[in-house]
Amino acid sequence: MENIIEVKHLTYRYQEDDPRPALNDVSFNVHAGEWLAIVGHNGSGKSTLAKSLDGLLPFTTGEVTVGGIQLTPETVWQVREKIGMIFQNPDNQFVGATVEDDVAFGLENRQMPRTEMLPRVKDAIARVGMSDFAQREPSSLSGGQKQRVALAGIVAIAPDVLILDEATSMLDPQGRREMLALVRELRQTQHLTVISITHDIDEAAIADRVLVIDDGQLIDEATPATIFAQGERLVELGLDLPFTEKLKAALRQRGIEPPANYQSAVEMEEWLWQSLSNT
Amino acid sequence: MAISFEHVSYTYQAGTPMATSAVSDVSFTVPDHGYLAIIGHTGSGKSTLIQQLNALLKPTAGEITVDDFTITPKTTNTALKPLRRHVGMVFQFPESQLFEETVRQDIAFGPKNFGMGETDANKLADAMLQTVGLDSSYAERSPFELSGGQMRRVAIAGVLAMRPKVLVLDEPTAGLDPQGRQEMMSLFERLHREQGLAIVLVTHQMEDVVQYAEQVAVMRDGKLVKFGTPAEVFSSESWLRENQLDMPQAAQVAQRLANRGLTWDSLPLTADQLADQLAARWPREGGAHV
Ligand SMILES: Nc1ncnc2c1ncn2[C@@H]1O[C@H](COP(=O)(O)OP(=O)(O)O)[C@@H](O)[C@H]1O
Ligand SMILES: Nc1ncnc2c1ncn2[C@@H]1O[C@H](COP(=O)(O)OP(=O)(O)O)[C@@H](O)[C@H]1O
Ligand SMILES: [Mg+2]
Ligand SMILES: [Mg+2]
Repeated sequence: MENIIEVKHLTYRYQEDDPRPALNDVSFNVHAGEWLAIVGHNGSGKSTLAKSLDGLLPFTTGEVTVGGIQLTPETVWQVREKIGMIFQNPDNQFVGATVEDDVAFGLENRQMPRTEMLPRVKDAIARVGMSDFAQREPSSLSGGQKQRVALAGIVAIAPDVLILDEATSMLDPQGRREMLALVRELRQTQHLTVISITHDIDEAAIADRVLVIDDGQLIDEATPATIFAQGERLVELGLDLPFTEKLKAALRQRGIEPPANYQSAVEMEEWLWQSLSNT
Repeated sequence: MAISFEHVSYTYQAGTPMATSAVSDVSFTVPDHGYLAIIGHTGSGKSTLIQQLNALLKPTAGEITVDDFTITPKTTNTALKPLRRHVGMVFQFPESQLFEETVRQDIAFGPKNFGMGETDANKLADAMLQTVGLDSSYAERSPFELSGGQMRRVAIAGVLAMRPKVLVLDEPTAGLDPQGRQEMMSLFERLHREQGLAIVLVTHQMEDVVQYAEQVAVMRDGKLVKFGTPAEVFSSESWLRENQLDMPQAAQVAQRLANRGLTWDSLPLTADQLADQLAARWPREGGAHV
């Protein structure tokens, strides 16, 4: 499979004399078109990694290649064209006075002529279901609506890679589900590669592959099912336990031995039903 | 005593063409030392409701009682200092209110403002730092060089340093990792149990509601649409669905098994309650009792 991103031996220190680098010799590839989840507890280095990929933090050791272009101070703008980022706090990412201005801003930066820009902005806003709000002030929107506008900005620029840095973590459950559904849809229609940094088990479950980062180091890489089968250890990895794992632990405390492998909610229900009706 | 709302309404920009009604005609009572969870959709009026508990917003109509304090539309600002001390408020993103040079100064700010001497206030700050799970090495650090989760703890320590009797928490764990969330929720539970703090918690985490709350208020479009124990509030799946609220996960599993013919003594709301009922009917060698 073709790699859209290649990271080799990346190390980053916020202060030169810092004995514990925020990123420590990190290497991995991202396949074109895949959905990659990155998990790890607060402070493990996930945002530092995301910002390094986008050239927002000038690392000194290691190599990052995006779409075949090696990231250097000279190529940083070319690389940024290929990556769209959405952050945790929806309030900190708006510059425009209206939703429309805000979405247009990213295109103005790329010096697109106005005649080409306007339809593109309108289309992007329509794609995320926010046409009725095009003239509204971003600050008057709910958290979920703000993240939609941020996604419209991404659609307009049409990058190859979308990085969500805990972008759903401040939303209510419905807002979170809606945003993930929208990202899934955009991934299809826009041929996006998605990197989602998350603590949410449902969001990680969508991924093809999960990377686990701890204290600036990559400590694991596996499918969601393999990761979720680690039971109680998941909490140390910055993930919540799936409910099925919580229930298994509670059953074990009561002398009932459930299967050791990871079970989806449906599989668990089936096992419970079989066990209870088993005479 | 306790907390009560009597026909409380709140309108933003009341009396202007921009007037927006955010809370309308809400009444309920929570007993002394209670633990109340407030749930409901974004925009349903939860934050507006709780900001009236320390008169940050004064009701447009109605009356609020918090222990010995009464808050009405006529309450004047001069009467607020003891109330603000009695009711500690942790806002969404409390870390955005940090401003001092060191963590210790930030936590000691409130007590000093209320007349405590420097030495005592600093001592108190160090104790509170420990309470929220940060060791003393953090006291001298700048609050702005901490991770998001650590900043959140410092902000909460600042509220606790005021020794409030009522702790109001507006989505206090949003954005923390699951372990941090768990630690914070356990801390609030401990303060409730050991020191008798009354807790008012706004949350979207139904699992926290069923694990910790004694009473639940459900808001919708500014109105209180349900008030009761967790068992009462989560008793009807169809009502929850209509109100776009999630069932706790244990109840979802129990419900699906019920759809296949299993009956429950009472709907389990937590993993422990579900496991208890499953264990009670688990087949032993020789036969099941379904
Ligand atoms: N601007 C900064 N200055 C100094 N240290 C920082 C800064 N930002 C983050 N750090 C430190 O780097 C580490 C990794 O942080 P971060 O990448 O934000 O973690 P995550 O996104 O996984 O929560 C943490 O120990 C954090 O305290
Ligand atoms: N400062 C304000 N000015 C005008 N309207 C507001 C203000 N704050 C909130 N509102 C409105 O009041 C209603 C309730 O909001 P809020 O109490 O924040 O709900 P919740 O906390 O349940 O999300 C919403 O319709 C919201 O738009
Ligand atoms: Mg981060
Ligand atoms: Mg709110």
